[in-house]
Amino acid sequence: MGNSAVSVNEVSHHFGDFSALKQVSFRVEQGQTMALLGHNGAGKSTLIKIILGLIAPELGEVSLMGAGQCLSSRERCVRLGYLPENVSFYDKLTGEEILTYFAALKGVSKAKVATLIEEFGLGYAKDRQLKTYSKGMKQRLGFAQAILSEPDILMLDEPTVGLDPQASQFLYGKIAELKRTGCAVIVCTHELSLIEPHIDMAMIMAKGERLALGDLNQLRLQSGLKAELKCDGLAQVVKQEQSLLNLYQDDALHFELEQQEEVVRCLTSQYGKFDFSLSKPGLTQIYRHYMGRDMESHIGSEQASRIIPKESLLTRLSSQFLKTRNA
Amino acid sequence: MLSITSLNSPVFIIAAKEIKDSFRNRWISFISLIFIVLSLSITFAGSAITGTLALPALPSLITSLSTVSVFIIPLAAILLSYDAFVGEDEAGTLLLLLSYPLTRFQIILGKLLGHGFVMFVSISFAFGGTGILLLLLGGSYPVMETLLVFMQFILSSFLLALTFILVGYLVSLRATEKARAVGSLLFIWFLFVLLYDLLLLAVLVAELSVINQSVLNLLIALNPTDLYRAVNEMAIDSSEGLSLLNGSSWALEGLYASMLAWICVLMAVSHQLFRRKSL
Repeated sequence: MGNSAVSVNEVSHHFGDFSALKQVSFRVEQGQTMALLGHNGAGKSTLIKIILGLIAPELGEVSLMGAGQCLSSRERCVRLGYLPENVSFYDKLTGEEILTYFAALKGVSKAKVATLIEEFGLGYAKDRQLKTYSKGMKQRLGFAQAILSEPDILMLDEPTVGLDPQASQFLYGKIAELKRTGCAVIVCTHELSLIEPHIDMAMIMAKGERLALGDLNQLRLQSGLKAELKCDGLAQVVKQEQSLLNLYQDDALHFELEQQEEVVRCLTSQYGKFDFSLSKPGLTQIYRHYMGRDMESHIGSEQASRIIPKESLLTRLSSQFLKTRNA
Repeated sequence: MLSITSLNSPVFIIAAKEIKDSFRNRWISFISLIFIVLSLSITFAGSAITGTLALPALPSLITSLSTVSVFIIPLAAILLSYDAFVGEDEAGTLLLLLSYPLTRFQIILGKLLGHGFVMFVSISFAFGGTGILLLLLGGSYPVMETLLVFMQFILSSFLLALTFILVGYLVSLRATEKARAVGSLLFIWFLFVLLYDLLLLAVLVAELSVINQSVLNLLIALNPTDLYRAVNEMAIDSSEGLSLLNGSSWALEGLYASMLAWICVLMAVSHQLFRRKSL
């Protein structure tokens, strides 16, 4: 167990009647990367703003590097790095001027700016105005801005949107470097397959609530999604092995993750099947599973709410009819 | 306080960025050019409408300059400041700035310093240049008096610009879109610069019994453009300007104090709005 970099405890927040966050809790240790996943309006941005100290939560507590979060960002001693979603820097300034501006605001030296510009492969374009930069170059500049102060905590909102695979890999490579220095990283993204190999844990949110939290294995177990095993001659094996019969469906075995060892042992030791493919549910399937479940409950409540007005309308019409007839 | 006075203070860093931005998008050159063309036309060609070409008397020149400046300076100031916050909000940089170790007051002050500098340079270059040309070409003007009159004209114009920069900030902090901010500010400009004076004149002409000297002073103080006109009328002791301003019994210091009060109040309100701005 490492030291807790971000600790969010039972945080709730409302915007008028809208409940943006409902008792959300999680912890990210130093050197860990957490993916913050959820549909648009799930409460991810509000959560990030609360962690940044831009919004005070109505209920609950947030602590960064063991110290309570306060709204006065000026007095904060924790080094935070942040890359907002779709940020559009100052078009008329050059890449170097933009990075120097943000570095000066954080009290970071010009030498560090020069190093980062080279490191991020922007040296050749540092004197060009931002309006001439490609999407990838702008995103690299934004990422360089976020890590200017060698942050303890780094928050990235959709950092790989619009980036080609090579640029995305570069970005995740940088995140891995930062993790090794003990930086805690929180990434909001919808590109699940891209982030999956790089995370230590993920939190799935919907409608301000935490649906699931944990590392990939924990999420698989929590979701109850099954692993799938395929191999040649599986139908013959299943005919002979009664214990596998109830796991067999669509020419594959589907089983709980806890059963994996048992199933594999049975196939290899008893039937000599060593050439098989085993696929565990990935982050995308887990996310879809939770979102689907949330959608079902949403549709269910929507249908229920639709029935009520219909009934009340019918009641009103019939009572109106009776009134007219009686009159 | 140290963090504001130090050159490494975020206030100066933000101000420097705003100035660089204005140089880069040619705002300073554009506004300076407009101001200088207007100023030189009024000074050296203003008499053409009377069929002669002669340099005007100093009081008459300042009256003419202030009559035109009162339209153009507020317009330039609001066009400079309208997107100060709504623009950064739309671009996402406002959220980013607020995640930095800065206070909201430092951000407003930095922007005001930067935009104020841009307006000061444009105003000084245009009107200061006109004053110097006047002294060089028209030998009959007393040097010290001309310099003093132009300096106070530049100072009052700068205060008027600061006032409307802050009005721009107020609207920019409230607006959700840049286009809406521009529309609202043009309406405010129309209200302060054109409509208010017309209504005030109508009230004066109607000779309502409630309009005594105190009420008139108050009505002038409630509009920064009227204060600007009154400052310039009073500074040259002219009787050529709007008659309603000649009726004011304010001392010049009182008028300047009122202009400063406008700036302080607008600054305080902007700060409050910024503190309460939902992100």
